[in-house]
Amino acid sequence: MRITEHPILDFKRGEEVTFFYDGQELKGFEGETIAAALHAVGVRVLGHSQTMHRPRGLFCAIGNCSSCLMVVNGEPNVRICVEKLKSGMRVETQQGKGCLK
Amino acid sequence: MQKVANVVIIGGGIIGCSVAYELAIRGVKDIVVIEKQFLSSGATGRCGAGVRQQWGTETNAILARDSVKRFEGMNEELEYDRDIEFKQGGYLMVSYTQGEWNQYKKNVAVQHSLGIPTKMITPQEAQEIVPHLNINGLVGATFCQTDGHANPFHVVDAYYKAASRLGVKFETYTTVTGIKKENGKVTAVQTTKGDIDTPIVINACGYAAGTICKMAGFELPLYPQRHQALVTEPVEPCQGPMVISLHHRLYCQQTPHGSFIMGVGDPHEPKDFNINSSWEFLEDVARQATTVLPLLKNLRVVRQWSGLYDMSPDANPILDEIPEAKGMWVAAGFSGHGFMVGPQTAVLLAQKILGQESFMPIARFGLDRFRRGELLLEPAVV
Repeated sequence: MRITEHPILDFKRGEEVTFFYDGQELKGFEGETIAAALHAVGVRVLGHSQTMHRPRGLFCAIGNCSSCLMVVNGEPNVRICVEKLKSGMRVETQQGKGCLK
Repeated sequence: MQKVANVVIIGGGIIGCSVAYELAIRGVKDIVVIEKQFLSSGATGRCGAGVRQQWGTETNAILARDSVKRFEGMNEELEYDRDIEFKQGGYLMVSYTQGEWNQYKKNVAVQHSLGIPTKMITPQEAQEIVPHLNINGLVGATFCQTDGHANPFHVVDAYYKAASRLGVKFETYTTVTGIKKENGKVTAVQTTKGDIDTPIVINACGYAAGTICKMAGFELPLYPQRHQALVTEPVEPCQGPMVISLHHRLYCQQTPHGSFIMGVGDPHEPKDFNINSSWEFLEDVARQATTVLPLLKNLRVVRQWSGLYDMSPDANPILDEIPEAKGMWVAAGFSGHGFMVGPQTAVLLAQKILGQESFMPIARFGLDRFRRGELLLEPAVV
C-alpha cells in the first residue's frame, strides 16, 4: 500500500528499480528507504528477537532501535529504516547477530 | 534504619558487597552496608569488567590469581540464581615496542613464580588467537587462557543476595554525612537516615574514600581520575580474549552477549571528579582500537559512559586501619583494577579485621608505605 496523494506532502519519488529480498525480485523507488519499499509490498515481519524468537517489525523507523536490522549487500546489521534503496540491492533477513567481516 | 551495628561498610560496589559477605560468612552479625545510590553505581558498574592475572607486582598477581579461582566457582559458591557471565577467553597483552616487551618479560617472570600459566608468544601465534589482530610492528604478546571477564552487575548482585541471606542489611540511597569518634576510635556513622553506633567502619567508597576519611580527620593520598568506555552493537562471537595494548592505552573485549566493550586511558586526564562523556574520547578510542583491531571499524557504537578510578600514588590499593581513627578501615585506591581482585581482597580484609591468619601479608598494602617511600609501583596499568 502506498499513499499517492496527500493534502500537505508532495512525494518526489525516484525511478522505479528492482531489488532482491531473500532472493525474490521486488520493485521499489530509488531514494526511499528499504523499509518503505518492503512495507509497500506487504513485508511486515523484518526479523526475530534474539532470545524468544518473536517476530519484529518496523518500530522506531528513525534508526534508533534495532528492530529492522538486515543484511544488505553482505553487510550485517544494516538499519533498513534509514538505508536508501538502490537498484539491484540484495536485502536478506538476518539470522542471529550478524558476523563482523 | 537500625541504630547499632557491629560493622558499617560504606560503599555498595564490588569491595563493599564482597567484604560484607566475607565477614558474614565468618560469623559476624549486624552488618550494615551504606550506599549513596544503587549497588554497582560507582566504579564497579562502569568498569571494563576484565579479570587478569598478568600483573607486574606480586601483590596484584596473587590477589588476581586467587580471585580467578573464586570467579570460576562463584555461581555455585554464592548460590546465585543467575549467571555472573565469567568468560575465560584469556587476556592477550600485545606489545608493539621493544621497551614494553622487556617489561612484559619481567612481568611474566613474576607471574610464573606464582604459578600463573602465562605464555610468551610470537605475533603469528597471537594472530591465531585473534585473527583480526594487526601484527604490523608487533614485537610479541603474552597470553593467559584463564584470564577473562565477568559481568560486574551480576557479581555484585550475587554477593548482595548471598550476604542478605546471611542477615546483612543494605541501605541504598543513603549518604554518609559524618563519622563520630572518641579518644581516637570510631564510634558512629552519621547518615541521611540517622546515626548508627558501631566500633568498626569499612571505607570502600572508591574515589569518594578520601571524602569519608576527611570526616574522620584523615587525609588519604588518593585522587580521582576519569576513564571513559563504550559499548558497541552485538555481533556473533569473533574475539575470544580481552586484548590489551599498553602502547595504545587500549583494552577491548567481546562480552558473551556479543557487544564489544573498550576504553583508552588518557595520560592528560586532570585529577578531577568530572564524569562527563566526551567526543574526544570517541575519536581517540576509535583510532586506537581500529589500529590494533582493524576489523572493528565496521562496528557501530551504541553507548559511551565514564567512571572514576580511585588512583593511589603507586596504582595499588590501600588496605589499612586509619591511625587517627581506630576501627576505621580503608579498602580503596584500587586504581582501576578493584573488580578483578575484589573477591580475594575481601577475604584478606575480613581475615585481618577478625584477627585471623591471612592468606597473604596485608602489611604490604599499608598506608605507611607512602611515608617510607616503599611503593608497590605497578607497571602494567591501562
